[in-house]
Amino acid sequence: MALVKLNDLEIEVEDGTNIVEAARQHGIEVPHYCYHPGLTRPANCRMCLVEPHVFFPPAGAIVPDRQLATGCTTVLRTAPPDRKLDGKYDFIVYTDSPRVKKAREDILEFLLVHHPLDCPVCDQAGECDLQDYSYRHGSDKSRYLEVKNVPPKKDLGPDVLLYSTRCVVCTRCIRFCDEVAGSGELGLINRGSHDEIDIPRSHEGTPIQLLDNKLAGNVVDICPVGALISKDFLFKSRPWFMEKANSVCSGCSVGCNITVEYKADGVYRLKPRFHEDINQHWMCDDGRLGYHYVNSDDRLQLPLKRVDAELTPTHWADALTVIQEQLSEVAADDVVVIGSAQATNEDNYVLQQFAHDVLQTTQLGLFGQLSGEEHKFPQFTIEADKNPNTAGARTILGSANGNVVLENEALWEKVSGAKVVYLVSGAPERPLEDAEKAALESVEFLIVQDVLPSEVTQLADVVLPGTTFAEKDGTFTNSTGWVQRIRKTIDPPGEARVDWEITQQLAKQLGGEMNYHFAGEIAIAIAENVQGYADATHQNIGDAGIKLAQ
Amino acid sequence: MVEERRILYEHLDVPDINTFDVFRQYDGYTRFEKAIAEYQPDDIAKMVMDSGLKGRGGAGFSTGLKWSFVPKDIKPCYLCCNADESEPGTFSNRYVLEKNPHLLIEGILICCYAMGIETTYVYIRGEFTLGKKMLDAAIKEAYEKGYLGKDIRGTGLNVDIYSHPGAGAYICGEETGLIESLEGKRGQPRNKPPFPAVEGVFMKPTVVQNVETLCNLPFIVGNGVEWYTQMGPTYADTRSDPPTPDPNTGTKLYCISGDVNEPGVYELDLGLTCTELIEVAGGLRGEEVKAVIPGGSSAPILTHYELDTRLDFTSLTLAKSMLGSGGIIVMNETRNIVDCLLNIMKFYAHESCGQCTPCRWGTPWVRDIVQRIADGNGRKDTITRPKFGVAENGRWGDTGETEEIYEDLDLLESVANNIANVDTMTWNTICVFGIAVSWPAVSYMRKFRPEFEAAIREGKLVTLPVAEATVPPEENYAYQQRFIPKEFADLQGITGDSRKEHL
Repeated sequence: MALVKLNDLEIEVEDGTNIVEAARQHGIEVPHYCYHPGLTRPANCRMCLVEPHVFFPPAGAIVPDRQLATGCTTVLRTAPPDRKLDGKYDFIVYTDSPRVKKAREDILEFLLVHHPLDCPVCDQAGECDLQDYSYRHGSDKSRYLEVKNVPPKKDLGPDVLLYSTRCVVCTRCIRFCDEVAGSGELGLINRGSHDEIDIPRSHEGTPIQLLDNKLAGNVVDICPVGALISKDFLFKSRPWFMEKANSVCSGCSVGCNITVEYKADGVYRLKPRFHEDINQHWMCDDGRLGYHYVNSDDRLQLPLKRVDAELTPTHWADALTVIQEQLSEVAADDVVVIGSAQATNEDNYVLQQFAHDVLQTTQLGLFGQLSGEEHKFPQFTIEADKNPNTAGARTILGSANGNVVLENEALWEKVSGAKVVYLVSGAPERPLEDAEKAALESVEFLIVQDVLPSEVTQLADVVLPGTTFAEKDGTFTNSTGWVQRIRKTIDPPGEARVDWEITQQLAKQLGGEMNYHFAGEIAIAIAENVQGYADATHQNIGDAGIKLAQ
Repeated sequence: MVEERRILYEHLDVPDINTFDVFRQYDGYTRFEKAIAEYQPDDIAKMVMDSGLKGRGGAGFSTGLKWSFVPKDIKPCYLCCNADESEPGTFSNRYVLEKNPHLLIEGILICCYAMGIETTYVYIRGEFTLGKKMLDAAIKEAYEKGYLGKDIRGTGLNVDIYSHPGAGAYICGEETGLIESLEGKRGQPRNKPPFPAVEGVFMKPTVVQNVETLCNLPFIVGNGVEWYTQMGPTYADTRSDPPTPDPNTGTKLYCISGDVNEPGVYELDLGLTCTELIEVAGGLRGEEVKAVIPGGSSAPILTHYELDTRLDFTSLTLAKSMLGSGGIIVMNETRNIVDCLLNIMKFYAHESCGQCTPCRWGTPWVRDIVQRIADGNGRKDTITRPKFGVAENGRWGDTGETEEIYEDLDLLESVANNIANVDTMTWNTICVFGIAVSWPAVSYMRKFRPEFEAAIREGKLVTLPVAEATVPPEENYAYQQRFIPKEFADLQGITGDSRKEHL
């Protein structure tokens, strides 16, 4: 640990921490553009200049260093005993001296000379570092009278637009493509004040390589200004009108930490949230843009039941009564309850409790999205398993005595001989493979709980409208054993209900004793009853998640 | 009358000196042979240190000191010869490359022997097509004659030289920009530290030396340190106690251009005055000297009051200018300083690599302001403000007088100083390109302020007579800056809101 005098504070920081991070840990902001903790440090924006103090032998005193230093590249380390300043400090640095303030103001002035100042029509306004720092550290007027550069707006790829005029050439996006994505689509063209970010183009200007890697959306997040803009979010909302909730991406089993930004009428965008061991600062575009089904107009809003071969809307009491009639007629062995790798641990726990205690069947299944492709990047992996909670669902469903969790062939073999199947899907737009379709078609009475009409719901006799990850509280367990919270953001559409509530209602209808009021209560039950989950209460999990003992 | 002392250029005009055989007749490679026969590598490094040889590329950093920073235990270590001579006003290296490339190869061999280097890259300016051709031919010949390659002259010494053409960027003459360019990247300087001596080409220790510096090595080795230190003055650096010697030894290839009768490269001892140099170059063309740029276009300008300044590293540093690459441009009374500054600023705005913020957007801004003044659109405000200077009490402060405000001149100074502050010698940029921009901008403006004011006042370029155009040293802010006590220097341009101070 190095003892550092930071302004008036005396702080201890780990060796190897840079000044920006050390200051951030103690609530002091060192403004910066090019520095990003997940990328290399070119120190080209010059915004994070700070004033180190050094021992000056001729004066025999500690004086400000002649040159200001960049906070991002200046690393704090324990000094040898004879090099301590004031007898004890390893480093003395000021982030608020008049010199530093003046330097910041000057750099901001340079950054703004060619900036179009089009904040009123800029998507970044409200979460823009250039705005924030100008407000805090900048001058209130411009001295620039000359003609501004107006480089063109560019379409870089499927989801990314570049407003070159707003660019401060911090090169975060270039470094991201080089270092994290490893695809290197972006580069600088021209020189000096005509520097522009661009993709490779032919002499005629037609793109040779689009910015279309699966991590491309991250460049929008890391752009400190409004230069890189997501087409998906373009002109949709002002950032300050949106509510934010910490959650977890449901796109695959990595379990990237995300922030869901939403208004009453739907989810607007997903942004990655830092988690050191899971996704660092990033998320993939499949996850980022995969939220659209939540807002879909096709969402199942009412329970459906099959009347004369047609699925007809009905009300909850009716749908549950129909199910109750069917379930009470069959033997326990003829019922298969299938949980979902798309559903939360809480949903699956209530479901297995329903199967084990009420229906007294131990034959459970696990259903979810089909596997996709695994994509490996130098610093990121998109997993093949497209379900957020396969590991959790498997453990939870099999947690009660004698429960057997069937998957794939074994499951469909079991299903094809069953009379009643209660299938919790929650997998949007899930296509069915032939074997699955044949098995489900042979079922006498198929109950499907899902969020969107799909091939699965087409085969159902009763469809119960469930909820997506954005509409409920709960926990997901990712492939590496991290249990993490998802949070309710918007209300479910129509009469759709949270999945565990539906199951609990059904259990009550069948005379079961279950009385959970909220997801946290179920998590406590899980902690008590499921091996390995002893600490996994919502309170313990918090925003950081907890890792299960292997 | 001062005589030229030709050492590096001694045999430059010998026909076919570029061929091995002729070079050999004129002691070629004998100095290298002497080095490997008589000296250990450490002895050579010590000789270079003792000779006081300062890097001729521009910074004037002690070569021996630079070599001492190279870690001995990390191999491979590289030598990078900087032949990207692109400072306006400088053209000495190209003659060596075009006419006497074997001298450079001999210098490289001595440096490689001293530092245990096996690979050398010569980064040649892309425009030097002839120079590259000649050097390549010389390298080929040296390989054939066994002076390059494996086991040179049976000594077990291996040296390979690769010549690499630049693509025409000024900034690739900056040592780390050169290294980036050599590695195949965009020519943008690196953050320092680490310096190239510790982490250079391919992240290995690298010695970066100018052509002229390397060409000095054969003569230091061949004729000895004592002979070498006789040339040029050695000053005493009184900042330390006891004073340390500050050598400015050897000869310098001065590239004299502009208003002299016989422009060209002259090899002279360090420490001559401007006046002497102009005499050597055939005298002034015109009536009187208006200004002299002492070290390439980025050096602060000297006025006719400063013509007795000695042209060596130390004297020019004390005169708040620099010897730089030794590109001396003389201007007579017909030259308009605003126009000169515009020319230089156009160059720097075009050549900024665009890596860091202040330089990327500051240099074109400075150019635009000068352009506006030159076009006659400079802004003048009639408001007067307190004039700062040496007040009655002898301290720096309000003199009680008032002066007219020329808004654009204040803006020019302020913007240039925000890129790199010439008074405190601090820069907000990654490399020293920033100071190379603000030095001319601020020094021209301060020293020839009447001409700038006239351009704004009259709405067109006005060339004033020399006496009127120049600010006398005793009234000159730029000179007074030299004597400002430290506590004021710390405050200068630093306290509070600069805008308020300046406008």
